[in-house]
Amino acid sequence: MLQDIIGSKTGLFADGVQTVLRGHENRSRRVVLLKGNLVQNSRSDSAGINARVNNHGTFGFASIAEYTPEAAEKVIRAATENAIALGKHSGRNLPLPVSAGTGTVPLNAKIVDAEQKELIEMCKTVDGYIEKKYPDLTSRTVVYYEDSQDRIVYTSDAYNGHLVTPRCYVFVMMSAETKDGVPVELFKAFGGFGSFYDHFSDPEKLYPGIDELYKKLMDKKEGVYAEAGYKTVVLGSMMGGMLAHEAVGHTVEADLVRGGSVAGPNLNKRVASDLVTMVDFAHTYNGTPAALPVFLDDEGTRAEDVVLIRDGILTGYMNDRESAAEYGMTPAGNARGWTFTDEPIIRMRNTCILPGKNTVEELIASVDDGYYLIDSGNGQADLTGEFMFGVTCGYEIKNGKLGKALLDTTVTGIAFEMLKTVDMVSDKVEWSSSGFCGKKQPMAVGMGGPHMRCKITIGGR
Amino acid sequence: MELKQAADFLDGILREQKIEKYGFFLNQSEKQELNIENGEFKLLRTVFNNNTSVNVFLGTKTGSAGGNAMTEEGLRKVVEEAKAAAESASEDPCHDIAPGQGKELYRRGIYEPDMEKFIERIREFLDTVAKEYPEVRIMASIGSFDRWHWLSRNTNGTEFEGIGGQYHFSIEICASDGERTTGLDYTGIAMKTLGQPLIELGDIRRHLEDIRRSIHPETLEGKFEGTLILTPGCAANFIFMTLSNYICDGVIINGTSQWLDKVGEQVADEKLTITLDPYDERIISGECGTASGFRSEKVTLIEKGVLKTHWLSLYGANKTGRPVVKNTGSDLVVTPGDKTLEELIASVDKGLIIGYYSGGQPGTNGEFSGVAKNSFLIENGKIKGAVTETMVNGNLGEAFRKIRGISREVLCDGGSVVPYIAVDGIVISGK
Repeated sequence: MLQDIIGSKTGLFADGVQTVLRGHENRSRRVVLLKGNLVQNSRSDSAGINARVNNHGTFGFASIAEYTPEAAEKVIRAATENAIALGKHSGRNLPLPVSAGTGTVPLNAKIVDAEQKELIEMCKTVDGYIEKKYPDLTSRTVVYYEDSQDRIVYTSDAYNGHLVTPRCYVFVMMSAETKDGVPVELFKAFGGFGSFYDHFSDPEKLYPGIDELYKKLMDKKEGVYAEAGYKTVVLGSMMGGMLAHEAVGHTVEADLVRGGSVAGPNLNKRVASDLVTMVDFAHTYNGTPAALPVFLDDEGTRAEDVVLIRDGILTGYMNDRESAAEYGMTPAGNARGWTFTDEPIIRMRNTCILPGKNTVEELIASVDDGYYLIDSGNGQADLTGEFMFGVTCGYEIKNGKLGKALLDTTVTGIAFEMLKTVDMVSDKVEWSSSGFCGKKQPMAVGMGGPHMRCKITIGGR
Repeated sequence: MELKQAADFLDGILREQKIEKYGFFLNQSEKQELNIENGEFKLLRTVFNNNTSVNVFLGTKTGSAGGNAMTEEGLRKVVEEAKAAAESASEDPCHDIAPGQGKELYRRGIYEPDMEKFIERIREFLDTVAKEYPEVRIMASIGSFDRWHWLSRNTNGTEFEGIGGQYHFSIEICASDGERTTGLDYTGIAMKTLGQPLIELGDIRRHLEDIRRSIHPETLEGKFEGTLILTPGCAANFIFMTLSNYICDGVIINGTSQWLDKVGEQVADEKLTITLDPYDERIISGECGTASGFRSEKVTLIEKGVLKTHWLSLYGANKTGRPVVKNTGSDLVVTPGDKTLEELIASVDKGLIIGYYSGGQPGTNGEFSGVAKNSFLIENGKIKGAVTETMVNGNLGEAFRKIRGISREVLCDGGSVVPYIAVDGIVISGK
């Protein structure tokens, strides 16, 4: 883990500007077994220092691939020079955001590193289980993936601190063939925040999830195409989380609001049914650690929760310090960079639609003719809130009961229209944290949601 | 540490460790990047970075490690970690490095930028857009110059060195009439000179025109089977999805490809020829060497619709007993057709011209289903209005067997050369 060698350099911060100095290390570990063949076996550690200077709305940023006191001095000088140099070309002249407080945020966790042989052995054990128990699969892939961020932040007028974000996952992918010889696939992610030993010391704990994945794949082998059109669906928790992140979350990032997103003219207006409340959690959900806890951002803002939608009314945006000043809101720790080369930009942390009162069974039983959409492989949305989610796992619902499995399809809609159709919400939330959000830079984010009954446009042949 | 000094130091450590077979890649890079937000210059970013990657073989076991510390301590750590990874690996004789290729120096693009001129060009672009496209908002724009110096070496005697740099300009745009705002659109271009106004490069002007015409999109009712004209950026996306689904390592090794035994056979319409060509003059920083150490070559993957080869790495080739392809890059060149875009559009009874496909990577069966973004309805040979909430569904393999036509016009964005491709038999559905 990073040692604090940069704290003594704050005396080099220039007067009359806001400066943040950040030491940052990213680590990754990767093992891939494809049908038992070890096709990837790699580790990587990258560290460096950056500085960002805000000179009244014109920003300078510089980074160097060294974690040394000398590099800290260089980046402070270079970022300050960049801010001044750009000022000659920029018409920006904004007041500097006021300080939201100063202090020190303590280290939140430790990164524990496992040896590569432990990772490989665990993957082999999992792969061996699948090979032995399910020989009828046409292919199987077991991936161990781990990344961690370790950052030390010093600021001119905000909080300093040390934050680590380790996460690790096992992805299991299975392929089978339909009776017509057409391949079908499913995958599942295991793991979450923490290190190898937190999740994978006992590979047998993965087996029930693997068995469930196989059962769903066998259902999918007999699957049918969804009928295209505007349908009543029950969105599973993973789909709910994707909706919270992609379709709503991005439109309420203040930099996209400034760019003209649909959230701009809808602040304090109804954008969803009154069953929908959505929060970007910082580090704690319901008294327990959030999927990927964030205690401090890369502008030195202490992380707090942001309520984005309350009872269907759009109530807030996610901000950095500059946009918070612009919109008259309080910054809550959303400005983050992925590596030492990245300037902080507005990112989600743990975005979630809160649970309601119904059970999942009640939701399914209430649908006469529709679909139960369980898992998504990916999703995208744009400024208008028009979204697309790939659906990799789902079932028909006929007369309140699950029918045939679905082959891969896609759903789309306009978020603030679709959320107004939500008329039942389940009482439990599930979280995922294995993906990356892409927005100039990648970022690890958590997303969660309950099951929801709503109307949505589904694609199909 | 200087690059060659670091390379020699690495050789020394690896020999010290009695590692007889290895390869490594070292890179030192610098980025100067100007960020524009809502038409204003906001951030100037300078990045100095290094990359180190070492691949160690112990008999038939292999492991790799990487980092960015080009110091004695950092390089020693990378070697130790690569060795430890190799020691933990399974025996697999299919992992290998390419036979010796000798030494070669590759120069690409330019090495010294004119940043003042670049800023002038960006200012000129912003002013032109404000004047000619007042409805269009430049939400974000990035102008960057990237410079690199890399070196790869292996124990079969190969040493490749690359020196180069390129400008890159990208925009993220929307349009508004004060009441309605469109969705986002993106485009970008790599270049080695600043001789032309940025607005005239690549397909930037087309994107500006299209977003301006998208402020009042219509929702399609029902569904129909029609023609999809893939704009060049979208066509490149569909082609890479197809290559990944049918001819790459993963699907050939595990045997799930539907083109597993199709080499030499017609898999697409005869109008389609797909080549990877790192030496095409229109491509600025084409691949020089593959990860396993081959000198990159021009490779035709599909010629007049016939599959010429699977796209296998050295490992994939050794694992499956099929030929290796000495190109792992994205230097895509698609042979243009004999029709103008206007003629292609005129030939379509009903369909879409699609700017961007918002959908996931299809499964190995090739079925795709996604949203047509930045797209326009075509009826009776004419482009009608923009559409929203419109989905396109089909099968990658089938789509490329039903090519209606390929345009003469090609998009050269500095990284690939791709025409418009019209495919039939796509299910297009609205609400």
